[in-house]
Amino acid sequence: MFLQTQGITKEFGKLRAVNEVSLEIVKGDIHAIIGPNGAGKSTYFNLVTGYHRATSGKVLFKGKEITNLPAYSRCNLGITRSFQITSIYPKLTVYESVLMGLLSHRKVTLNFFSSAKKFFKEEVWRTLEDVGLADQANTLGDSISHGDKKRLELAITLGTEPELLCLDEPTCGMSPEETDIAMGLIKKFSEERGLTILFTEHDMSVVFGIAKRISVLHQGTLIADGTPQEVRASKEVQKVYLGGSA
Amino acid sequence: MSFDVLFSQFMSGIARAALLFLVASGLSLTFGVLRVLNFAHGSLYMLGAFLSYSIWKFLLMPVLGFYLAAIIAALIMGAVGILIEYVLLRRLYARGWPEQLLATYAIVLIIMDLVKWAWGGEFLSIPRPKPFTGAVLLFGFPFPSYNFFVILLGLGLLVFLWWLIYKTRFGDIIRAAAHDREMVSALGIPIPWLFTWIFVLGAFIAGLSGAVTAPFGSVALGMDIEIIIECFAVVVIGGMGSLPGTLLGSFIVGEVYAFGIMLKPELAIAFIFMVMAVVLIIRPWGIFGRPER
Amino acid sequence: MVIKQTEQKESMLKRGWWLILLIIIFLIAPAFLSEFYLTVLCEALVMSLFALSFNLLFGYMGQLSFGQAAFYGLGGYTVAMLITKVQFNFWLSIIAGVLVASVIGLIVGFFCVRLRGIYFAVLTLAFGQLIFSVVFKWHDFTGGDDGIQGVFPPEFLKSPTNYYYFLLIVFLLSAFVLWKIIHSPFGQTIISMRENSERTEFLGIHIAKYQLITFVIAAAFAGLAGAIWVPFYRSVAPSYLTWIKSGEPVMAAILGGPGLFFGPVLGMFIMTFFHSWVLGFTIYWPVVMGALILAVIFFLPGGILGFIQEKVNERKEIRNRE
Repeated sequence: MFLQTQGITKEFGKLRAVNEVSLEIVKGDIHAIIGPNGAGKSTYFNLVTGYHRATSGKVLFKGKEITNLPAYSRCNLGITRSFQITSIYPKLTVYESVLMGLLSHRKVTLNFFSSAKKFFKEEVWRTLEDVGLADQANTLGDSISHGDKKRLELAITLGTEPELLCLDEPTCGMSPEETDIAMGLIKKFSEERGLTILFTEHDMSVVFGIAKRISVLHQGTLIADGTPQEVRASKEVQKVYLGGSA
Repeated sequence: MSFDVLFSQFMSGIARAALLFLVASGLSLTFGVLRVLNFAHGSLYMLGAFLSYSIWKFLLMPVLGFYLAAIIAALIMGAVGILIEYVLLRRLYARGWPEQLLATYAIVLIIMDLVKWAWGGEFLSIPRPKPFTGAVLLFGFPFPSYNFFVILLGLGLLVFLWWLIYKTRFGDIIRAAAHDREMVSALGIPIPWLFTWIFVLGAFIAGLSGAVTAPFGSVALGMDIEIIIECFAVVVIGGMGSLPGTLLGSFIVGEVYAFGIMLKPELAIAFIFMVMAVVLIIRPWGIFGRPER
Repeated sequence: MVIKQTEQKESMLKRGWWLILLIIIFLIAPAFLSEFYLTVLCEALVMSLFALSFNLLFGYMGQLSFGQAAFYGLGGYTVAMLITKVQFNFWLSIIAGVLVASVIGLIVGFFCVRLRGIYFAVLTLAFGQLIFSVVFKWHDFTGGDDGIQGVFPPEFLKSPTNYYYFLLIVFLLSAFVLWKIIHSPFGQTIISMRENSERTEFLGIHIAKYQLITFVIAAAFAGLAGAIWVPFYRSVAPSYLTWIKSGEPVMAAILGGPGLFFGPVLGMFIMTFFHSWVLGFTIYWPVVMGALILAVIFFLPGGILGFIQEKVNERKEIRNRE
C-alpha cells in the first residue's frame, strides 16, 4: 500500500469541498485527478500534501497515518508538491533554488559553517541538465520564462528526491510546445527515477495521453476511478462532462 | 478580599478597557482596511491630548470648554490624518509592509519631537468637566463619575462603528475591501478615496481619545508609546482588524491591568504580556483573527 | 562555465583588497583621531555589530524585529551587574552577557516565531518593551531609572585605544562568523524562507524551528554588542532597551541597504557620526532620524550600498552590451 485516503472529507464552513473520498495511489503510477472547476481537485491535493487538514477521514502513506502531520514532515517522508500558481524563489538563482531542495532533503540545513555552494554540485547539475535549465543556472528565478519557471519548480521538487511527487496543474498557462516538453519530462522522471506521480490537470488531451490511472471528482465526491479506458466509458463521467449538451 | 473591593477594581478595569477600545478601534479599523499597521496611531493620540489641553486653555470656557476642545482637537487630528495618508502612505501602498511600518515609525519620531518642542516635558491635565466632576458610590466605594463618561463614550463608539461597518453601504464597501481589494476596485469604487477616509476616521478617533484622557492627568511625553504597546496587545489578543476582537481584547487588557495593579503594581504591564503569550500559544492569530493562509 | 568561475574569483580578489585596505585603515585610525572621535568610532563599531545581528533577522530571514535592543540591553546589564555587584571576571561576564541574551532570546523567540511579517514586528516590539519595563521598574535589582555606574574593564583595557582594538577584534570575528553563517546551508535555508516561506516549508523545512534558531543567534550577537559596550562606557541605563534603541539598527539597515552584508554597518557608521555631529547644536535627534527614514524610503529604496550596486550593475551591463 503506497498512498491511501480513507473517507477523507474537508469542510470550509458549510461548504463540503471534498466528500468522503477513498482512493488508492499505486507505487510507480502516473495518477491524474480530474474534474470540472470546483470539483475539489485542489482541495484533495492539499489534504494529501498537508496544506489543509482533513475534517474527517484518514490519509495513509506507506501504511503510516499522516492525516495530521504538518507539510514539512510529509515532505521528509517523501511527499513533495508543486503549486498551481508557480512557486519558486524569485530572487535566487536557478542553481541556488535547486540546491535548496537537496540541502533540505539531505539534512545538512543545520550546518552553520561550510559554504553552501560546495554541496551537491553533481546532483544539482544533473537535475538542471535533466530539466534543461543548465544554461540558465546563474539566472534569477523571476527573469526566466513562464514555462521555464514551471520546469524550475519541478527541478526544485526533484531535489527533495521524493517518492510521491504531487503536481498541481503542471501545464497551467503553458503553450502547447511547452506542455509537450513538460509532460515528456514527467514521464521520463516517473520511469527513470521510479517516481510515483499524482497530478491534477484540466487539459484532457494531456491527461489521457500520460496517465495510467484517472480519478474523477465531481462536487467533492469521487465518481469514477480506473484506467483511462474505464473512465472514458463511465456513464457518470459522461453525464458530468457532457450533461448539459447531451 | 471582599467582593466590594473586587467589584470596584473590576469597574476601574472597565473604564480602562473603554479607553483602550477608543484608541485601539481606530488602529484596528485602519489595519483591517488599509492593511497598514499605523505605528503613529499612539502619536496622533498624544498630539490630540496636548492640542486639546492648549485649546481648552485658550477657550477659557468653564463647562463647554473641555468638550469643544476635544472635538476641535479631534478634527485637527483628522486633518493631520489626511496629510499623512495623502502625502506619505499613498505612495507606499505598492511597496512592502516594512516600508509602510517604517514610514509610520518615522512619524512617531517626528511627532515626539514636535510635542517636546511645543509643550516641553511637563505633565499636563485638564480638570474633570461638568457634570462629571464628582464621584458615585459603588458598594460604598467612590468611583469617579468621569469614568462613566469614558465608558459611555466607548459604548457610543462601539455602536457607531458597528452601525458604520455592518449597516451602511460605506460599511459594505469597507468589508468588501478588507476581503478583496481588486474586486472592489473593479466595481468602480475609488479605493484611494476609501483609504483616505478610513485613515482620517482612525486619526479622528485617536485625537478624540487623546483629548478624553486629559482629565486623567496623564498628558505627557511617552504616552504615545505606552498606549500603542497596549493597543498592540489588544489587537494581538483580539485579532487584528476585527471589531469584536478589539472589544474583547480591550476588555481583557483593561481588566488584567486593573487587577494586576492591585496584585503587584510594577508588573501590571507584564501580566498583560503573559495573557498575550497564552493567547498566542492557543490561537496565534488572536481570538477573532483569521489566519493569513 | 570555466570562464565565469575565474571571473568570479577575480572579483572576489578585488573585494578582498577593499576589505584588507579597510582593516588597515581601522588599525591605524587611533593614531589620527582625537579621543572624542575615537569614542564615536568605538560606538560605531559596537552599534554595527548590533545592526548586523538585527540584519540576520531582517535582511536575511526577512523578519523585522522591533525589540532587538532588549537583547543588547540584557547583555549590557548582565556585564554591569556581574562586574559591579560580585566583581566577576571581565571575560566571563561578557560570556555570561551573551548567554543571558540568548536564553531570553529563546524564550521570547518561542512566542514570536509563531507569527510572521507585521505580526512578528508587533510581538518583538511588545516583548522588548516588556523586558524594558521589568528592568526599569525592578529598582532594587537593576537600579531602575539610575542604571548602573562604575563598570570598569581590566587595567590593560582602560585606555580608550586599547579598548578600541579589543572592540575591533570582537567586531571582525563576529562579522566573520555571521558571514560564514549566512553563506552556510543554514543561511541558504533562512534566505529561502525569506524568498518564499511556503515553497521552503513544502521542501521539508520546519519554518518556526529555523526562525527560532536565527532569533537566538541574533539575540546572542546583540547581547555581545551590549556586553562589550558597557565596560567601555562605564555605565548602563534602561534607555539601552527602549524601542528607540531598537529602531536604530532598523534605520541603519535601510539606510545602508539590508540586502548587503555590510549595508547595516555603513548605515550605522553614517548614523553614529551624524548623530555626534547633530548633537552639537540640537537635542532634536529623533526628528532628524525620522526625516532621514522618510527620505531613504522615498528616494533611496535599497539603501546607499544597494543604490551603488545597482549603478555598478547598470554600468557592467552597458559594458557587456558594447
